[in-house]
Amino acid sequence: MNAAGAAWLLAGALLLAGALAWSWLRRARQAERLHAETRHKLEQLQREFERFAPPDLVERLTGGRGDVAPQRRQVTMLFADLRGFTALCDRLDPALTVTILNDYFRHMSEAIARHHGHITELVGDGLLALFGALETNPWQGRDAVLAALDMRAALARYNAQLQAKSLPQLQFGIGIHSGEVIAGVMGAGELNKFTVTGDPINVASRIEGLTRDLGVDLLVSEDVKKALDAGFRLRAMPPARVKGKPAPIQTYHVEHHEARP
Amino acid sequence: MTQLLNEIPWGESLLAPDIDPAWEAELKRRGGNGSEVDRRVAPSPWIREACLGINTGTACAISAHLFNIAALVTAQENACRYCYGASRSYLLMLGYSESYIRRIEQEVHLAELDEKERAVVAFCRNLARSRPRPARAELDGLVDLGYTREAAREIALWIALGCFYNRITILIATPPELGFEGWVSAKRLKFLLLGPLMRFQAARRRRGKRDPVLTEAALGAGIYGPVLAPLAGLPGARIMKSALDGAFASTVLSRATKALMFAIVARSLDCRTSEVEARRLLAAEGFGDAEVEQSLASLASARVPAAEARLLPWVRDTVHFQTDKIQGRTREIAAALGNAAALEAIGVAALANATVRLAMLVE
Repeated sequence: MNAAGAAWLLAGALLLAGALAWSWLRRARQAERLHAETRHKLEQLQREFERFAPPDLVERLTGGRGDVAPQRRQVTMLFADLRGFTALCDRLDPALTVTILNDYFRHMSEAIARHHGHITELVGDGLLALFGALETNPWQGRDAVLAALDMRAALARYNAQLQAKSLPQLQFGIGIHSGEVIAGVMGAGELNKFTVTGDPINVASRIEGLTRDLGVDLLVSEDVKKALDAGFRLRAMPPARVKGKPAPIQTYHVEHHEARP
Repeated sequence: MTQLLNEIPWGESLLAPDIDPAWEAELKRRGGNGSEVDRRVAPSPWIREACLGINTGTACAISAHLFNIAALVTAQENACRYCYGASRSYLLMLGYSESYIRRIEQEVHLAELDEKERAVVAFCRNLARSRPRPARAELDGLVDLGYTREAAREIALWIALGCFYNRITILIATPPELGFEGWVSAKRLKFLLLGPLMRFQAARRRRGKRDPVLTEAALGAGIYGPVLAPLAGLPGARIMKSALDGAFASTVLSRATKALMFAIVARSLDCRTSEVEARRLLAAEGFGDAEVEQSLASLASARVPAAEARLLPWVRDTVHFQTDKIQGRTREIAAALGNAAALEAIGVAALANATVRLAMLVE
């Protein structure tokens, strides 16, 4: 091969190498862009998901970590239910009813989150919040009661807003109980959620029901009382029978909390 | 999801810079860079010493590469806008490419790291996050992968020191070093080419620098001795010990408050070793067992001065936090206590978080 031929061959090889490099670079950039777009979509999805489940739980599920496996845990449960809201629904415009309910849930959710809890269920005008379900929380009883007191204050503020608009005011009942439950992701098919199951959850619900009978807005069980310090002002209520329990249960009305006992 | 730099919310700085010419000269002499952090922590002797020690400290058992990656990942995991931005820019300055850094931040399994390095990144995230709390087994896992016991301990120590520094800057809401970040960004191409040379120079400087080390007996003798003793021979252990001794010798906050703050962080992270040490400190202040239990249950104590009472519930929230919310709460603390006490409280909270994270690994 003469010199000119070799030069042509070299030039051809260089051209081919350049074309290959350019093609590789283009593909790498495409892959990078695709990766960035995928991540962006995943982030959007996660933010949407966080509207339906606590961010901590979403983080654990999307992080692929296996620490949401079902386990027995000491958890404090807070049930809250609006009183007379069903009757109110019949009188109010549906859109207004939903707005009032959503605002109420927003205020309650903020109060619960401020005290390390999260709402796991909304059923009609009722809610179930958990404390210590996602991770060990040595202050779960205290947190739940402080959240309830914060909810009471938030409801008073919201009622003032409703009153200013000549709308009916809301009243709730809250029941709090602690106990060992099974916590984990439960459900079937496409409907799964992180929640708890066990007898203590029924007791918490029954205690919430007792608020109507006893004419108070906030009751805690004996187990929750044990976790509270002297800063919480409690009033013992008459022992009351509840469904599923052979003996009457002792509850306490929480009046207020003083920051320094 | 772990946040990226531009996703971290960051409030107005809690403290104004405190320009102390004598300290600025001292900083310069000892290789400090007079950062936004240095100027804000200047009023507290033990905090400023700890911050300077962390900024100028070296590792002896792990590579500079791993050290820098660990600093970046820890800052990102702690959602510290200040440290994350500074670490990122420093890596760019050393010639790491933007895409390389991005892969570490976003998808570590796609990054050009070997199995051992990926394990360190995962360890950084787990220890910084502590949700769920890591245990000794995770440290042993690094040894199983081929790191020496000393290297594994040094990695854990620098993550803990990173957690300390990150919390200082987060709680103060130290303004990010935008000047430095912008300068590095503008000269990115230059650094991409000169980076390997800068890395070589940094490694040479590091080899020439021998930070003093403390013996097991010296580390084990003082406050939180059982946690510090296994770190004998590591230069960073001296920073931790000086900070602990300085924090408890300081008179800005009461000793009972500080010991309770440590106990609360220990209980939050379910760390028995740390709680035992905190109880020892509380016993020296006259607390009985029942009183400690009652104080921990109620996050309050009659022995804590009234002005400092709000620090007990607050310190619990420094364990796991959302950056903007904890900065807001810390601002309330500063408004109630004044800047000097707030800075001291920030230092103690940061140190308690770092110490307990280390202690979890010796249990």
